[in-house]
Amino acid sequence: MQEFSPSTLLVLVPLLPLVGAILTVLLGHTLGAKAHLPAMAGIAAAAVVAIALLVATARDVGPAHGAHAEAVRPVEMISTLWQWASFDAAYTPPAGSPATDARLTPHDLAAAEDVRSFSLPVALRLDPLTATMLTIITCVGLLVAIYSVGYMHDDPGYPRFFALVAMFVFSMSMLVAASNFLLVYVFWEAVGACSYLLIGFWFTKPEAARAAKKAFLVNRVGDFGLAIAVFLLWMTYGTLDFHDTISSDGVIMPGILGQTRLADAAGYVGGAVGTAICLLLLLAACGKSAQLPLHVWLPDAMEGPTPASALIHAATMVTAGIYLITRSAPLFAACPGALTMVSIVGATTALVAALIGTVQNDLKRVLAYSTISQLGYMFASLGTGTLLGFTAAIFHLLTHACFKALLFLGAGSVMHAMGGVIDMRRFGGLRRVMPITAATFFVGAAALAGVAPFAGFFSKDEILAALHSKGWPAAHGDHHAAAASDGSFQLIAFSPEAAHATVTAPAVGLDALDRPETWQILFWMSLVTAGLTAFYTFRAVFMTFTGPTRVPEGAHGHGGHGDHGGHGDHADDGGHGSHGGHGGHGGHGGHGGHESYESPSAMTWPLMILAIPSALVGWLLFSTNWLAHFLSATPSLTAPAVAATATPHVFHMNLAIQGTLAAAIGIVVAAIGHLGRRSDGPQLERFLGPLQTLFANKFYFDQIYSALIVKPLEGLALVAALFDRHVIDGTVDAIARIPVALGGIVRRSQSGLLQRYALVGVMGVLAIVVLLTWQLRG
Amino acid sequence: MNPAQSLPLLQNALTVGAILFSLGLVGILTRRNLIVMFLAAEMMLQGISVSLVAWSRYHGDWGGHVLVIFVLTVAACEAAVALVFVLQAFSRTGRLDAAAWQSLREANVGRTIDHELPAIDTVPLRFPTLAPAGVLPPADENEPLQREHV
Repeated sequence: MQEFSPSTLLVLVPLLPLVGAILTVLLGHTLGAKAHLPAMAGIAAAAVVAIALLVATARDVGPAHGAHAEAVRPVEMISTLWQWASFDAAYTPPAGSPATDARLTPHDLAAAEDVRSFSLPVALRLDPLTATMLTIITCVGLLVAIYSVGYMHDDPGYPRFFALVAMFVFSMSMLVAASNFLLVYVFWEAVGACSYLLIGFWFTKPEAARAAKKAFLVNRVGDFGLAIAVFLLWMTYGTLDFHDTISSDGVIMPGILGQTRLADAAGYVGGAVGTAICLLLLLAACGKSAQLPLHVWLPDAMEGPTPASALIHAATMVTAGIYLITRSAPLFAACPGALTMVSIVGATTALVAALIGTVQNDLKRVLAYSTISQLGYMFASLGTGTLLGFTAAIFHLLTHACFKALLFLGAGSVMHAMGGVIDMRRFGGLRRVMPITAATFFVGAAALAGVAPFAGFFSKDEILAALHSKGWPAAHGDHHAAAASDGSFQLIAFSPEAAHATVTAPAVGLDALDRPETWQILFWMSLVTAGLTAFYTFRAVFMTFTGPTRVPEGAHGHGGHGDHGGHGDHADDGGHGSHGGHGGHGGHGGHGGHESYESPSAMTWPLMILAIPSALVGWLLFSTNWLAHFLSATPSLTAPAVAATATPHVFHMNLAIQGTLAAAIGIVVAAIGHLGRRSDGPQLERFLGPLQTLFANKFYFDQIYSALIVKPLEGLALVAALFDRHVIDGTVDAIARIPVALGGIVRRSQSGLLQRYALVGVMGVLAIVVLLTWQLRG
Repeated sequence: MNPAQSLPLLQNALTVGAILFSLGLVGILTRRNLIVMFLAAEMMLQGISVSLVAWSRYHGDWGGHVLVIFVLTVAACEAAVALVFVLQAFSRTGRLDAAAWQSLREANVGRTIDHELPAIDTVPLRFPTLAPAGVLPPADENEPLQREHV
């Protein structure tokens, strides 16, 4: 690896999938059934490069020295590709704006010159957070691509699918590697576009087209927040770069998340402006990461192909919000109120989504709500604002990417085998006919539920610990955490002059939320969510894989019998999975007389590979504390406000017991309800009573949005359409009639008689002559 | 003073040119025969040419003379082209009457009739043809040998 510099390698990570995507587009129809090759090769190469970069970054960070937190040196590497835009004297910040405050520009850059230049480098960065994200994206992307070879074959859009997946991997890699808020915005939109195209992959199906549109429009709300946040950041900090840049005359321009600003405790704006930026970033994150109240698009996004759901709507794209907030950690650390809001949104989303998930009968929708719920967990963890909280969120992101991708791919395998049926009430006992899928699904479910040795247990415990340390700071005996909760690391009380009063008025109302009682409530909500998670996960496992074996009519075993009439109801996977009789799979015997429905090896291998990290990665990363140490070298997390909250790495036995207890209760309840006998959920319905209706209707979010936003907008659109058709078009038509009428008058002179035309010509000439003569005389 | 530049000579020449031009103009406005109209237009052109020559001579500038030579050349070519048009128009309608083309008027304008033209002779018009030579090509029965009106 000596001959390649890391900056070259970093460029390769997005570049290779992009080349793969372009080649797939160009050669897709020539390659036919081999159309996956360019895309897959691109993603695979990118995965190798990403792992190499991870290793290189880890070497830079150095090993962890025991369990004690120590000051870590920030590790980052910037690779500027080209200058996108560069203007001198582009902007004069208004007097009194924070951008002109000398304290915020540590090197007295802008104090003298009040005219700022605007430059926009296309720069990629490599730091521990980016390296971690790149590895997750490319590795999960590769496994999903392999899986899709089995899942998507025979689909008419086969090349299109792989081109989109590779395009997505490119966009997502750029999103996490970009070192500039504007580039983040650009690729934030790009992943949204890929998501839109993949949700609507089977665009001839009305539900899919509608779901794609919904996802796009709901995301627009969040993107709007991000756009405004970018504007505000530019106005406030005078730059959009994360990193420090050196201008042509050798002055260091401090980037928003650059080391110059991070080193200075007064580098960040708090107060109203800071809170506004953070809340807008939170809005953006809510849109992309499907948090309350913008979560409604994610369950519908399950209309897309299952591998796309696994990659985009479970493992990677929806974590962009987590990434954005982690990246902006110093901004959030200056605004405790906004941080608390992050946690409140996250914990509420986690609880609400888990409650909805308990009554879903569609396997993919259970997983979708579980994704929303787990993302809520990560948000709750981010909102603590402590180093533990941020690293726990990324830890959970990592484990969640493994086990949720595994669960989705497992669900896809079930769907593939069941002829597109995904309603859990229509099949059961599949562990006998789909042993590999069942075993790997069980591993994923155990990890999601937080069963002790599996991955989710450790990451979820970290999150609970982060929340607990904020709720009961004294119990953790950590003065940093204690200091955090009484607001003493409120970095900037940016209210030096009265002239700044409008800019800097502290958001008293929001900051007042940051008190131990709030965190105690959030902790209990998260604990309840943990129990609910275990319940709905194992409810799905029991309904799908245990009990007497039942398969819907449309499904095909490897015996290959009959024609396929029945497809699933609303989640019909576009007629997929209706290809039975795989010739090469004749040897499946020994399933107790059952015919095998197991999916082809291209689909089961990724399941088995994903099962390994789902089982082990939690213990590995927790016991060695490697990830937390690694991530703490991310520049954003070395901000004093965050780094000061570093706590020794300990195993909180009491929290582990509480978490395990919650999970155990959930699993036991699920077992009572669904294990042993066939259950379509009447006990659950009886138990929940009217709540069941509430949960089954998803807390009426769709109906509320329909009544409050969609219907009024449709009414407005109707009025606008009528206005356009009658008023505007009518005016234009009326104006168009004037020349027609005038033409009608002149037209009469067109008699077709040559002599008359000649006469008119002569008269005209005479008139001119007379006129000229008269004028010359006069 | 150069006798060629005398004013009476110019006046006489211009009078002749104006008479030629006016005769042509009257001819074009009053006659309906396409060939006569064409001749009248030529007459107007020559009237202009005469005044051009007169002015040229009066000013002692040979440019006008040269221009008139060019005009004559162009007029000869134009006459050939114009006669082709007249011939084509005649072969379409069988008439040299300009009013035969008044069907090119606007749709909602009525037909102008000063007096009715005589009905076309129902007997096919016969024109002299060259004596046939060589092998007679096979006749196409779909194609009439002779058009009704030429």
